[in-house]
Amino acid sequence: MQRRVAVMLLLFVSFSLVYSSIAYYSLSRPPAQEFMAWGVFSSSSSLSNYFSGAGANVTVGETLNWHFAVTNQMGSIQYVQVVYRLGNSTSANPNATVPGSTVPQVGNSSIFIPNTQTALVNFTWVISSRNIVGGMVFITTMINGQQVSPSVGAVAGQRFRFFFELWTYDVALNSFQYGYKGQNSRVGVPLQVWFNSL
Amino acid sequence: MRFRHRALLGILLLLIFSFSVTSENASGQSSQVDDSRSKLVQAFVLVQQADLQGASPAQISLLANNLNLALHYEENATELFTKNITASNIEATKSVNLSNATSVQALGVASTAQTQALYGQVAAYSTAIAAGFLSALLVLESHRLNDLVRKMKLRRMRID
Repeated sequence: MQRRVAVMLLLFVSFSLVYSSIAYYSLSRPPAQEFMAWGVFSSSSSLSNYFSGAGANVTVGETLNWHFAVTNQMGSIQYVQVVYRLGNSTSANPNATVPGSTVPQVGNSSIFIPNTQTALVNFTWVISSRNIVGGMVFITTMINGQQVSPSVGAVAGQRFRFFFELWTYDVALNSFQYGYKGQNSRVGVPLQVWFNSL
Repeated sequence: MRFRHRALLGILLLLIFSFSVTSENASGQSSQVDDSRSKLVQAFVLVQQADLQGASPAQISLLANNLNLALHYEENATELFTKNITASNIEATKSVNLSNATSVQALGVASTAQTQALYGQVAAYSTAIAAGFLSALLVLESHRLNDLVRKMKLRRMRID
């Protein structure tokens, strides 16, 4: 009788362990790599044809309606900020680890994005005036209704470029940080679009 | 001469008074915009916690809409700060109220999500233990089932 009870107990514990493991597995969140993806889209909602005419030429008063599509796959809601900078051909590029802090910032937009969702952020801009000093062209732009006159010029107005950086709010540091939190370190995903001011 | 001195002193006092009132107002306004920012971040932290505790995507989506609206008010307040202090004040208050309401909702959602997760765990592990007991019983008493099947077969043969 005692032997039967012992066997019963052993079987019960063994089966319970197996079934509990199955329960634990089914209750656990499936492992997934966390990331954020984004792109800058033209007015035709494509990743091309940013400019109406041939080449990347932008004339004074020409309004360009672009937007960013930002996808959150971080596992939870994110507070995201898109930072805009205006540079030229000699500006230091932002990269996967460092933002383009030396390039003047010309604006930013913030948004809360739930997990697995894609949010659209408008980027409407127009060159409102040009100022030529010693062959260098300096532009005044209106970005999302805000006028900015960055201290960046380009020779003959050629090869200006916008840098777009994605920043996410770090709750522990209580501030926006460049890129998003990767497995071991933060991951920066900058974008850039070249243009000429005519 | 005395009148001139008094008049000058009066103007000076008036200037100091008006300057102090303006700066007090401005700093008060600035703190209101700052307050709306910090309340917005507080609300975001609570919504993120609710999300991590397993709140449904639909609930988080609703809370995110509130956060975006509160952010819109806060941005308006910041933009209006240098142009129209009263309007900035109104927008900052709207943002604070919405952020506070979102924080309360997020706490409720997080609590429900936690309770549901706990119930789910209890149900899953209880089922696992019950299944473990039944399986053990089945293995241990399987010979009796075999006997029962054999007896039933014999009965059928006798009837035939």
